[in-house]
Amino acid sequence: MNSLQIFLIILAAIFLILIPLSRSFAVKYARRTVLLLVAALMLMPFIWLICAAFKSTDAMSQYSFLPPPSQISAKTVNLGNFRSLLAPQPTIQGPVTFWRYVTNSLFLASAITVISLFFCSLGGYALAKYRFAGRNVIMIYMLASMTIPGVVLLAPNFEVIWRLGWMDTYKALIIPGAVGAFGIFLFRQAMLGVPNELIEAARIDGCNEFRIYLTLIMPLVRPMSGAFCLISFMGSWNAFLAPNIFLQSQNKLTLPVVLNQYMGTYVEHYGVFLAGTMLAMIPPAILFFALQREFISGLTSGAVKQ
Amino acid sequence: MSATPIASSPPIPGLPSQNHPSRKRVGRKLRSRSTPYFFLLPFIVINLVFFLYPLFYATVLAFYQTNGPARRAFVGWNNFAFVLHDPDFHKALWNTTIFAVFSIGLQLPLSLGLAMLLNSKNDRFKGFFRLAIFAPNLVGQVFVGIIFSVLFAPHYGLLNRFLHELVGWGLEQQWLGNPRLVMPAIIIAAMWMYVGFNMIYFLAALQNVDQNLVEAATIDGAGPASIFWNVTVPAIAPVATFVVVTSTIGSYQLFELPYNLLQNNGAGYGPSNSGLTVVGYLYQNAFTNGDLGTGAAVGWILTFIILIISLVQIRLVGSVGSES
Amino acid sequence: MKFPYGPAPLVILIIAMITGIGLAVWIPLSRPSGYRAPDLVLATFVPEQADAYRAALPKFEKENHCKIQIELVDQQALQSRLQSALQVGADVPDMVELMYGTIGVFTKGPIQDVGFIDLTDKIKTSGLYDRLVTNRLSKWSSRGHVFALPHDVHPVMLVYRSDLVKQFGIDVNKLTTWDEFARVGREVVRRSRGPDGLPAHYMIDLPTDGNDALILLLLQDGVNVFDAAGNVAFDNEATVNVVCWYVKQIEGKTRISFPCGEGQNFAKAMIDGLCLFYLCPDWRSNRIELEIPSLAGKLSLMPLPAWKPGGLRTSTWGGCGLAFTKKCRNFDLAWKLAMYLYYDPAQLGPRFAATHILPPLKSAWNLPQFDQPDPFYGGLRLGRVYAALAPFVPEEHYTAYQTIANAKLSEAFTSASLYYQAHGDVGLRDYARAELKRCADRVRIVMHRNVFLYPPSAQVSEASGK
Repeated sequence: MNSLQIFLIILAAIFLILIPLSRSFAVKYARRTVLLLVAALMLMPFIWLICAAFKSTDAMSQYSFLPPPSQISAKTVNLGNFRSLLAPQPTIQGPVTFWRYVTNSLFLASAITVISLFFCSLGGYALAKYRFAGRNVIMIYMLASMTIPGVVLLAPNFEVIWRLGWMDTYKALIIPGAVGAFGIFLFRQAMLGVPNELIEAARIDGCNEFRIYLTLIMPLVRPMSGAFCLISFMGSWNAFLAPNIFLQSQNKLTLPVVLNQYMGTYVEHYGVFLAGTMLAMIPPAILFFALQREFISGLTSGAVKQ
Repeated sequence: MSATPIASSPPIPGLPSQNHPSRKRVGRKLRSRSTPYFFLLPFIVINLVFFLYPLFYATVLAFYQTNGPARRAFVGWNNFAFVLHDPDFHKALWNTTIFAVFSIGLQLPLSLGLAMLLNSKNDRFKGFFRLAIFAPNLVGQVFVGIIFSVLFAPHYGLLNRFLHELVGWGLEQQWLGNPRLVMPAIIIAAMWMYVGFNMIYFLAALQNVDQNLVEAATIDGAGPASIFWNVTVPAIAPVATFVVVTSTIGSYQLFELPYNLLQNNGAGYGPSNSGLTVVGYLYQNAFTNGDLGTGAAVGWILTFIILIISLVQIRLVGSVGSES
Repeated sequence: MKFPYGPAPLVILIIAMITGIGLAVWIPLSRPSGYRAPDLVLATFVPEQADAYRAALPKFEKENHCKIQIELVDQQALQSRLQSALQVGADVPDMVELMYGTIGVFTKGPIQDVGFIDLTDKIKTSGLYDRLVTNRLSKWSSRGHVFALPHDVHPVMLVYRSDLVKQFGIDVNKLTTWDEFARVGREVVRRSRGPDGLPAHYMIDLPTDGNDALILLLLQDGVNVFDAAGNVAFDNEATVNVVCWYVKQIEGKTRISFPCGEGQNFAKAMIDGLCLFYLCPDWRSNRIELEIPSLAGKLSLMPLPAWKPGGLRTSTWGGCGLAFTKKCRNFDLAWKLAMYLYYDPAQLGPRFAATHILPPLKSAWNLPQFDQPDPFYGGLRLGRVYAALAPFVPEEHYTAYQTIANAKLSEAFTSASLYYQAHGDVGLRDYARAELKRCADRVRIVMHRNVFLYPPSAQVSEASGK
């Protein structure tokens, strides 16, 4: 019997004691405990990451997490990794700093997100709320297009981008990412729940179709817009292969591409890479906090009652 | 079903509605007939250029063997026949199916459960918990490869130490070196990565659950299980269909995770190809063997398999085609 | 009017606009004024080399009045990009650094179809041939034609914890064969077994799934996955020997090894002395020195034990090479650049000191940096000990089917390993032989589908190799 086992048994025992005393409190306690344990498991890699980002190479190889308090000094725990990360790099385009890559990544991820939010929700609305010739064909086609593994299309896509003259431009990443079957499918499913009576009422009031989409439908699926933005932003923020293949100038690269450059072939600069990974988590984490109000409290702005 | 007025859709002034009903109807009908095509136009255009053309190219390739732009040889169905008879493909399909079963059967219920736990109104820390569970999505794939080599290592691996403390087993287990443990390791890693991702969809879908109905059912004496099946499930069904279908597709396209976990062990996808997935097999054929034609054939076979599974799923859940 | 998509998409829209304007106005993406299009583009996947080349370029550019661009691309992405570009006939860089083993994909057709310039004659006529470790050209060749210049030699030694080896009373000079090494290893494991049955020390770090280490040991015994003509060659007695030896070291009562992995786990194992010996190519000696400084003075190096008394005491692991694409705009300049970056003594001395990577240019080994004692390794002259082995590194042959062959070899290896776990030594050799044959035949079947190398009409007659 070791301390971890004892700890878990105590947690379970408290629950059993609480049940006869107050059922609702016991449930609340169980809920909170389960969440805490899950969160601890989920966050362990990040604790490792944050510890590693501040450790010197020597300390990194000796300790899983931070060194014991007696060993903590400027030699083992310091900002050296961040200093190397933030130092300007000389390139053929002139010196480039880390912040340039942050700006590049922010621009690409946010531009792709807003554009695809617009196009995907528009397409999803068409498929959810209109009856038209070819609708089922488009649905099946979309489903099929999701199932083709992207690797198959890599070589021909490369040719398209090259023939368009888009190599080494952001167009190569933004335009193919501007609308996708996944997003359309998601919005279609979310909009299925919107009662047709609402749309009919708006038509009778004389709203044009685009106006109905914009002012009636979109506010109703706001929780899903929030979720979509988050997922889409994260997808572009962490995209690795496509930027690596289509971008060439060092000053246009995105964060994941640049961070990977610290993982050398012969010598891996784990510390700098992990420090960069830690910083790169901050913008999406802020976005997550800002967005979650959207998809959690969407109800209050006007519920879809069925 | 009551169509309550919507706060954020104010009546639009300047557009009298009842003036010339008949003439307006005709014009509107025409307009609304072209409207859905117009709304889908961006998708259609972009899809034609960046999907349909490449797909056409890849489909042609599937019947050829190529070597650079100049040299190609027509081989008919040979590429397909080879793949369908290749023991490696069978292994990859088996591994991928195991993975898909676990990610649908284990991960999605867990995602929904966590979403419901985190959907409560009065919890000051729910923001923190949500972020904690979503956090794996904030990091890129390279980090995932590193962290799991740290977690899964024998003797020093954090997961092994944790399991050893908890149940006294697993300290010397070689998750990525033992053919029997490679798939479990990938499933565990995928659980960590994607549980929060799917939770986001469920959280958004749960906003569709009518709280008045829940209250009414509670007053009527319905238990939590009954409320879940009769109120919650119907409300989230369309989005749940989406999650099930896209998770199946995603599971069958699993590639990067095993690639990152296993490639630094040397060439290949784990001992005895125990971590080989269908797209891994495709990548191996198309890029490491340089046979784009066979790669395209694998792609088509995979598409065929997933499409059938997806259509069956949609039929089962029965939400496509049936409007609310 | 409220933004219909809600405040969060509005915020993202604002971010997109601000960063977009920022990129467009303050830090233009377009070329800075005075920008000159590069005369040559060299793409590499090795960050360390990109840095070294960028630092060395100004001198070359000044002397040759030209502009060179170094592109750093992730290895997987570079490979995919290059293959895609060559497939569809799109632009490619003028020069590309390739990872070992990846050249085969580009040479899978007729020689004249290879997307790289055939360097065979140029290497001979320029006199380079006599100045290089010629075995090293094999890994960049196909059917006798060389398509890339070797960057390195990468001889392998064993690095060991000299303090622990002394403590166990091991005389490394007597570890001349792998069998003797295994015998001493079993002694070490037996003596260090703790009360819980787990040894505190193992003899050597070996991965349980074979792979790189297995191939390295096979190369040492003269076995290549493919022979020089590109035929599958791993189903023979030598392979059976090595595989059977290997599985006995990783399983059961005879086990002497532990799989230490990479990165933090590897470092911890070295610090704890979990293993006494570790396979150590030249590049790894530098990595250990940089990543685990606390081991200073506790390490030393020895040549690999041989498979037979008097046999080869080294092998090789890894490497990269420089290829010139057929679209190269100025081959003469590119060749000059390659000579400058790869084989210029003024570059090679300091680079060895910084990387411990041995260049294939034999004359470079006489530079003073190669005689520099390294205090981290107890004052050993690293350059000298590696250079002593470098001329003997085994030849390597790669084809497009390298990955599948490695995977199949690993499959046979894993089967043998599972067999040994279940049945022990009895029948192991026969089982391993049969598995190797089965797996090698599978690779042959895949290879013979290549209609460019094996025209269908000739398939029957060529089935046993040409």
